[in-house]
Amino acid sequence: MALELDYNKSLYGVEHRAGPFPVTRELIQAFSQGIGETNPVFTDVETAQVAGHADLLAPPTLCTIFVRQIQLPSIDLEFGKISMHAGQRVQSIAPILAGDQLSASSHLKDVYAKTGRTGTMVFVVWETTFSNQDGTVVAEVEESFARR
Amino acid sequence: MPYFEDLDLGDEIGPLEIEASDEQVSAFCSIWDRETPSRFTDGALAAKSGLPGPIIPGIMSMALMARLFTNWAGPGALKDMDVVFRQPVPHNKPLAISATITDTRQEDSENIIECDILMTGTAGERYVGGKAILSLPSRP
Repeated sequence: MALELDYNKSLYGVEHRAGPFPVTRELIQAFSQGIGETNPVFTDVETAQVAGHADLLAPPTLCTIFVRQIQLPSIDLEFGKISMHAGQRVQSIAPILAGDQLSASSHLKDVYAKTGRTGTMVFVVWETTFSNQDGTVVAEVEESFARR
Repeated sequence: MPYFEDLDLGDEIGPLEIEASDEQVSAFCSIWDRETPSRFTDGALAAKSGLPGPIIPGIMSMALMARLFTNWAGPGALKDMDVVFRQPVPHNKPLAISATITDTRQEDSENIIECDILMTGTAGERYVGGKAILSLPSRP
């Protein structure tokens, strides 16, 4: 029998907007340095411009740091005590460049239970769409958190 | 730069061998985490969360895994990466990131490859696993 989950279902269909998140050269360089990324299109403006970009290109998952800065509402889930970051998906749709101002729109995508060897866990999935200052969608990020 | 026509199902990408030091993780966390120290940087706080030691944040693990593809295919090839954090990823331990091609196809005039991707430890730990989709150029 499927587990009946008790949480705030009225959050479905509600968009939570955040930003703007400035993408600076310093941020791209610090992110690249933090993960040991050495491709110069991420670290050297001149190389990025020779490669056809207006400024430094952001590494593919840079916008995940902005997701962590978005204050999302509690879904008031009545299940478990421990929450952990269970998974993440990043779809890169258009280049993110130094100088961009990104805005975010997040919504609750899914809440579901899964039972495995270690018992039942409930997964809470949020989806965030990032757009740049021109309104172009640049990335979509899905994050799931597991409660047990 | 790999070309689409040169790739087959089952081809391996990597491994990319890395190790994230305490200093590297702290530097990465300082970019976004307003609550340092945390379980990512502090052994005592990690222990409070039931962890054997400070761990690499999920978003950092994912960014490290994306490096496999930016190194291999250039900065703009990776279109989609979807990962599951299976186990906490420790600092200061050798990590290997590798991928296996599971599909190649042409879609809307793009050359697409799909891969399974995995971050492992030296004792066979499977820390992070998932899938990735890349768009690659044709051989000129």
